[in-house]
Amino acid sequence: MKPLSRTDLEALARSPASDPAEWIRVQLDTGGIAAGAEIVFNEINRIRLERQLPIALLRAGSVGYSFADPVVEVQARGMPRVHYGRVDAQVAGRIISEHCGTHQLVDEHVIATRRRSLTLTDPVTHILVRDTGPESGNKTEFFQFSLTEELKRRGLAGKVQVVRALDMGVYDKGIVVQLLPSAVTYANVLASDVARIVTKSVAGGKVLEELLWKETDKQVRVVLRNCGAIDPDSLEDYLGRAQGYQGFRRALLELTPEQVIGELKASGLRGRGGAGFPTWLKWQLTRAQPAAQRYVICNGDEGDPGAFMDRSVLESDPHSVLEGMMIAAYAMGSSQGYFYIRAEYPRAVERIERAIVQAREAGLLGENILGTGFSFNAKVRLGAGAFVCGEETALIASIEGKRGSPSPRPPYPSVRGLWGKPTAINNVETLASVPAILLRGGAWFAGLGTESSKGTKVFAVTGKVRNAQLVEVPMGTTLHDIVYDVCGGVLDGKDIKGVQTGGPSGGVIPSQHLDTPISYETLQKLGSIMGSGGMLVMDQHDSMVEVAKFYLRFCVDESCGKCAPCRIGGYQMLQILDRISRGRGSPADLVTIRRICSAMQKASLCGLGQTAPNPVLSTLRYFDEEYKAYLEGGPSYARKMSRASTAEPAREPAKPAVAP
Amino acid sequence: MTTHLPAKHAETGGGRDLKKADEAALLDLLETLEHKHGFIPREISEELTRVIEVRLERLRRIQGKLDSTIRRDVKVHVARWREEEGNLIMILHAIQNQHGYVPREVAMELARELGVKLARIYEVITFYHYFRLQPPGAHSLTVCNGTACYLKGSADLLNESRSRLGVSEGQTTADRQFQLEVVRCIGCCGMAPAVVVDGQTHGRVKTSDIPGLIEAAKKQESKK
Ligand SMILES: Cc1cc2nc3c(=O)[nH]c(=O)nc-3n(C[C@H](O)[C@H](O)[C@H](O)COP(=O)(O)O)c2cc1C
Ligand code: SF4
Ligand code: FES
Repeated sequence: MKPLSRTDLEALARSPASDPAEWIRVQLDTGGIAAGAEIVFNEINRIRLERQLPIALLRAGSVGYSFADPVVEVQARGMPRVHYGRVDAQVAGRIISEHCGTHQLVDEHVIATRRRSLTLTDPVTHILVRDTGPESGNKTEFFQFSLTEELKRRGLAGKVQVVRALDMGVYDKGIVVQLLPSAVTYANVLASDVARIVTKSVAGGKVLEELLWKETDKQVRVVLRNCGAIDPDSLEDYLGRAQGYQGFRRALLELTPEQVIGELKASGLRGRGGAGFPTWLKWQLTRAQPAAQRYVICNGDEGDPGAFMDRSVLESDPHSVLEGMMIAAYAMGSSQGYFYIRAEYPRAVERIERAIVQAREAGLLGENILGTGFSFNAKVRLGAGAFVCGEETALIASIEGKRGSPSPRPPYPSVRGLWGKPTAINNVETLASVPAILLRGGAWFAGLGTESSKGTKVFAVTGKVRNAQLVEVPMGTTLHDIVYDVCGGVLDGKDIKGVQTGGPSGGVIPSQHLDTPISYETLQKLGSIMGSGGMLVMDQHDSMVEVAKFYLRFCVDESCGKCAPCRIGGYQMLQILDRISRGRGSPADLVTIRRICSAMQKASLCGLGQTAPNPVLSTLRYFDEEYKAYLEGGPSYARKMSRASTAEPAREPAKPAVAP
Repeated sequence: MTTHLPAKHAETGGGRDLKKADEAALLDLLETLEHKHGFIPREISEELTRVIEVRLERLRRIQGKLDSTIRRDVKVHVARWREEEGNLIMILHAIQNQHGYVPREVAMELARELGVKLARIYEVITFYHYFRLQPPGAHSLTVCNGTACYLKGSADLLNESRSRLGVSEGQTTADRQFQLEVVRCIGCCGMAPAVVVDGQTHGRVKTSDIPGLIEAAKKQESKK
């Protein structure tokens, strides 16, 4: 790409590029590829070339539907735009011949759109149907049949197709039906409603108010705005279709650094990596330090062992994170930035590296950017499998090529950071929010969320949940809404026991507190933390003692050993927990545990040791009786518990996700 | 280097054990000869010396070539990062990408090239879990032990893998065929619990699937 000028960028802002008429977009992120997305991509390409079809085949990152990987999005002429999930080579073939060819949707693979409508704007061409009740007694096929029969009776059989959907985005609401292309959605549909739906809505074009599902999707996509929608390897796509680098252009050409910081202040954005420190303040403190060089670092070390928000953003929309970093650099007067990314994320590394090369070629990185005199360069540094390197001072030591041992703060990195220079460290999600704030204004961002916690937050919801996926919701949404309304509730309809947030530094929030609106403060009050966004759903069968042990073992394994409270306290506590979980603990153990916890919290040098007791403390606080049951039940109880947890059969036979 | 020693020997004391064994073998041979002839005939001792010297010479030449390849490779890696501050970790990544682990000879050469103490390099290597000091096995079995997989039974998968392979995580079987690894979240939480065999991800794995996965991998040609 040739270097861009100011006028090029301005022109792009006014006239975004348009999509080709027909396209198939395959979501090639790590999760998708592990599930076989590359095979799907190649198969579609093969058929496309073989039959010389004028369909564009595009690459994208992940929209976040991990439960349905590999995911493919299709736009064909005369067809509603849909996502297909659990696609394999055979389904890919059917998508081309049926969806693109004969205008039929493919059964069992459609993921219904979350943009539900309240009005029937266009004649109905397809009807999605799914029984969203418990898996047993599934009535989906029956309703597909009766809708189809009713359509035949009305002479509409050839015009409207009834399709079994993979997922409706509405859960536990009986039979759910969606009329496409408008996406009017009916819930709790009964057999007696079928005739009305066909005569009134399909034939008559009227919405049945009493069946209409009016709730809109809880999700608001700010950080994930482009994920799954653009090609992460293409700067043109980002510039042309995603208002790419317009936030940077506004900052650089229209605002002073102080005004940029002011915009961030107005937005109320707080760090998304865990602690929630106001981002504007971090930038201002760094800017205020007199220094010849300042550094900005993107923390892509994603250490929570079950979270994948940052990886997904880096893989799906790398230019946004880079743009966020460039805006940060301009605001605080830095000319050098580093992405610190886990080596275990090779695809994220590759895509960020490519983004940097592309931005440099386009003249967005380098010396005297867009003729403004502002110079900035970015580089990638790899992590090497140490959780503690997510901690700021350890991360800095690691970039300096040393062991990643934390050092005492103060001095804070904003005063003395990388190579002794003022440094601001921001999380991936924090930086990805920044271009949107510059583009739409701090006030807009502040309009989302709660009084103290503004904007949206991305969570990776996993565990015993029906749909493991990425979720982005405004702050203030309740855990209940996230688990039940967005992710479909607990797997196999079991009862929820609690939700773990914040990973190894967080805690378990029990079912009675799921109605709490999420914010930094509320989670903290409940004994957990916001953390980076891992969210683990647990059902009644999961032992809280085991979960606490799992996280504590993680922290003990990852302790750098520099200070005694963490090194020795963690190890001792793990021994005690292990003893309890084998039914050999004594009541005095609980007292000892609490004592060790408080010593670790107070005396550990860094956040790892200070927060490692959280999973233990929060389970002690809410699930005291489980610990007691182990103490009272002895070894036989412990054996029974461990059998109960392993006796659960896996739901489907293991199969290679990727055909050999 | 081809060695059939169990992993722990390669790490420490391997050299000394080897020397002792070789010495014993040589003495055995001499004893047999003495026994047979009553003494060691000169022709035989000269022949032996000649054979040994030829062999040694060939070994020396191979070693020399190895050394110079190592030196060249290390030079290339260092040159790429020469100008960068704090480059050690990035160079180690490059070395591990090339060899699959950080061989001792290479670490030594790197210490010479960078002009730092070997201990400082090992200090860094041993801090980070990602760096390996032993060559990887021909096949690998990686069990995900991220939270989602843990909750869905990855501990049982790991136990089964351990007992099937007879090694624990981070180790390679004595025949260097299989290495067992544990990772934290491979990004397929939607298909938890997940296992990766020779780069191929398997989702919703049950304990009873493990032996089959191992056997299937053994049947395949060793990974690329
Ligand atoms: C042990 C430990 C691990 C951490 N891991 C991460 C991490 O993986 N990713 C991250 O963004 N922040 C992590 N943090 C928080 C960072 O130190 C830092 O606060 C954050 O990156 C700042 O960015 P933010 O203000 O945008 O949140 C960790 C902190 C501690 C103490
Ligand atoms: S608290 Fe733990 S991880 Fe942090 S410096 Fe101390 S020993 Fe290291
Ligand atoms: S926890 Fe195993 S794939 Fe995420």
